[in-house]
Amino acid sequence: MKCPECSYEAPVPEFRYLYNVRIDAPLTLRQCPQCQAWLSVDELAGESTGKVEAGDAPWGKSAGIERDLEEAV
Amino acid sequence: MTAEPAKLDVSLQEHEEKQEWWWIAEKKRSKRLDYLRKAVWKKGALGGNYAPGIKVDLEGPKLFTDMWKWWKFDPIIMRRAKALAHVFDNIPIFITDHSQLVGYWGSAPHTISWRVDGASIVNEELYNEPGIMPEPEEESLRKVAEINDYWAGQTAVDKVARILDPEDAVKFLSGAIGWGAPTSAYGYSGKNYEYYLKGERGFEDIIADIEDHIAEAEEKTIGVPGPDILHIYDRIQNWEAMILVLEAAIRFAKRYARLARTMAEHLETDEKRKEELLRIAETCERVPAKAPRNLQESFQMDLLIQTMSRFEASEGAWPARPDYYHGPFYEKDVLQDKSLTEEEATDLIGEFMIRAYEVGGFGPRWAREGMQGITGTWVWTIGGVKPDGSDACNALTTAFLRTARLIRVSNPTFAFRWHPKVSDEVMRECFECIRHGLGYPSFRNDPILVANCMNWHGHPVEEARTWVHQACMSPCPTTKNGVQPFRMASATANCAKMVEYALHNGYDHVVGMQMGPQTGDARTFTDFEQLFDAWTQQMQWLLSLLVRTVNLGRYKDPEFYGRPFLSGITERAVERGIDAVSPEGERGNCWITAFTWVENADSLAAVKKLVFDDKKYTMDQLITALETNWDGYEQMRLDFVNKAPKWGNDDDYVDDIMLRCLRTMAKHSKVMRCTSNNTWPAAPQNVSGNIHYSSVVGALPNGRRLGDALYDGGISPGPGLDKKGPTAVLKSCGKIDHVADGRAFLLNQRLSPTQMAGEKGYQLWRAYMRTWADLGLDHIQFNMVSDKTLRAAQKDPEKYQEVIVRVAGYSAHFVDISRKTQDNIIQRTIQGI
Amino acid sequence: MSTCSDCKSFFPREDEPGKGDCVRRVVDPRQAYYTTRPKNPEEDASGCGEFRKR
Repeated sequence: MKCPECSYEAPVPEFRYLYNVRIDAPLTLRQCPQCQAWLSVDELAGESTGKVEAGDAPWGKSAGIERDLEEAV
Repeated sequence: MTAEPAKLDVSLQEHEEKQEWWWIAEKKRSKRLDYLRKAVWKKGALGGNYAPGIKVDLEGPKLFTDMWKWWKFDPIIMRRAKALAHVFDNIPIFITDHSQLVGYWGSAPHTISWRVDGASIVNEELYNEPGIMPEPEEESLRKVAEINDYWAGQTAVDKVARILDPEDAVKFLSGAIGWGAPTSAYGYSGKNYEYYLKGERGFEDIIADIEDHIAEAEEKTIGVPGPDILHIYDRIQNWEAMILVLEAAIRFAKRYARLARTMAEHLETDEKRKEELLRIAETCERVPAKAPRNLQESFQMDLLIQTMSRFEASEGAWPARPDYYHGPFYEKDVLQDKSLTEEEATDLIGEFMIRAYEVGGFGPRWAREGMQGITGTWVWTIGGVKPDGSDACNALTTAFLRTARLIRVSNPTFAFRWHPKVSDEVMRECFECIRHGLGYPSFRNDPILVANCMNWHGHPVEEARTWVHQACMSPCPTTKNGVQPFRMASATANCAKMVEYALHNGYDHVVGMQMGPQTGDARTFTDFEQLFDAWTQQMQWLLSLLVRTVNLGRYKDPEFYGRPFLSGITERAVERGIDAVSPEGERGNCWITAFTWVENADSLAAVKKLVFDDKKYTMDQLITALETNWDGYEQMRLDFVNKAPKWGNDDDYVDDIMLRCLRTMAKHSKVMRCTSNNTWPAAPQNVSGNIHYSSVVGALPNGRRLGDALYDGGISPGPGLDKKGPTAVLKSCGKIDHVADGRAFLLNQRLSPTQMAGEKGYQLWRAYMRTWADLGLDHIQFNMVSDKTLRAAQKDPEKYQEVIVRVAGYSAHFVDISRKTQDNIIQRTIQGI
Repeated sequence: MSTCSDCKSFFPREDEPGKGDCVRRVVDPRQAYYTTRPKNPEEDASGCGEFRKR
């Protein structure tokens, strides 16, 4: 996997595992060992989908009514 | 300072539309409350670290240690009484501008207290904690080192640890299976409010009673010799220690009176403030020496007793029922005599809560992470019924709820004892607090919990009806034989380890040691019953180890620690001449706080479904995937999450496993006995232990990895896994027998602030609450802050300092909790009802 | 030698002769308050940074 911030490349497990916000989705948070950036990682594809800043939510809205309404639209 | 509003402008409606309730509160509250609320030094650790400017108080520890050393030949209870009296007589005290209530657990507003004789390991941690030493730091460190050198090896925990079974001690101290300390130096002290807070008794009355007991006992000691009089000598010492400390407590209050009078007569120029100061002086000359006569005296007595209790032991909870015990004074002063206006009373109520909010003691890192943003669980009980079963709500119930919205503190929070006779007016006030995003009150089903008190511990119905939250969740009567003077926090179990150990033959891959019994290599299990049998053995082992430790700590506590002040305010101890922590005459009210519980049901169901029923995977494949923390097994992990039934969807497949786990545990709860020979029921809930244990619990078959937050509630479904709507959640939870299956069951739910707006929102919520009550659930609490606001608060925390969320058994300011906890809260399902 | 009883912050106790309190005003970054601690009137105040001659 390649870090989108500093281009560091290594197998996924070498990026420090932080946590998975949505247990039912393959998107996790990992940390780049070189630049320390928090990255969202698609664990199925073995790729980072981008850097995660404060307030970002790459995994989308909470489950339930708000997401349901959004999906209905 | 008058009780007039701080400022009002036309933008209130705008704030309301944007649901910026914190700005509304700031504009609506009085100038006094605004000043006092902003004056608080926040003691709750921010994601585990103390805020800049917070310093450990070294005055109290030094005074205490000096006098403790001096009286080295005294019995422990007398020694503590004398050391405590020395603190009461000499620690610096203060009165904040505009305040009307006094009392603080420390020598200055920005200090956190330190329990020097509790545990050496905590003392060492304090020495190494960066940023909290008063300037000059080098001198403070030298003082701390001196104090630590003295206490090393002779704190309460050191003494218990020496007599524990060595294997139990190592496993307990690993931090993997539970937390807390088996001593009354820390923990949750129930209060015998029926004895001292009904406006009938002051400390002088108690002292007079004790003197009578001593006189009677002394007669016996000069009577006929025999074994039946030998215990009396110890009891006389206990009584004398109680008198000594109660007298010191009266002097402590009078020091505040003297300071207030000095300020009024020599230092203050404002006439109105002089009057207030003289009233403070009069109040503190009156209480706690004598019974209170009005609301201010009643609040002041309660507050001083809570403060002084903390000088004796680092109390981690604040069991209270303020509307019930102070309500008669509110009704007299505000409604009958009209000696107080409603606005003046609001100032007193608000300050009473603020004085509790500012309290804080030093806690080790595990405790700070486990209770992020707060310093203890001040869950104040309101509502409920009187001993005769009639509605106990009064004018002060609604006054507290209204005031809570004005001052918006995260601690104390309220837990409302709902029952069928609660008026619509009171329910509306409760709902408004939730709508304003406070996360409290939580709702407790009173008829269910009264029955639960009677079922598990045999409390008579009249006593059961006096119950208050002893900590976050568990009820405890406030009566002579019902009150539990101390509940140590070490019967707090990290329950996810039960299933983890069942899958790894009792071995803990995170701490790297054999913890539980060897229940077999799970790779060889051929049916679900073998796995469930292993789980049962691990559960019994884990709970028994914790309970053994607590029982021993409780039994030895009067010898190892001693509580003269708590004894002096506990009728059972006063009557018998015993340390209040002694179980003699106590009915028993123990419980196990069951952290990280729901993972057991979801994990067992996932294994049953995918391995034993569908045979999609083998046990060998599963154990290998778990040992690698699911790395390289993402599709398999997703199958275990999405293709196995999950708790909270009204699916009997997994719900039956949940019930089986609970009932197997409940059976063991009756086998284990407390020091009063009563039961040990479990109360599934988490505080924020689900985050603390995220790096302690290994990968599980419910799909979590080591590092992921555990589920947030006691019976809350996993965040986002409750896909069948709110009624399905309630139905799953309603299958549990909330009287017989355990002590209490915490359910977090998240509602949409948009859907809950206006009268329509209230009516929807009322209908939902009727279902909750009909299904017999004992607890529910709500977060009602939108994703948008919470994400904005993550991005720009300075602007959202006052956003409050319900974490688990408590509320916290959102910006004070870690990113992982924040994300965990945001991902909870927003139920459309 | 200056003693505590020579200081403006010292207030003797009316009901306890020979005892007194040091009462001081403190303004910290969040709040203002009066604080007190017991003092012996004859205590040496020469090293006290808060001493204010009466």
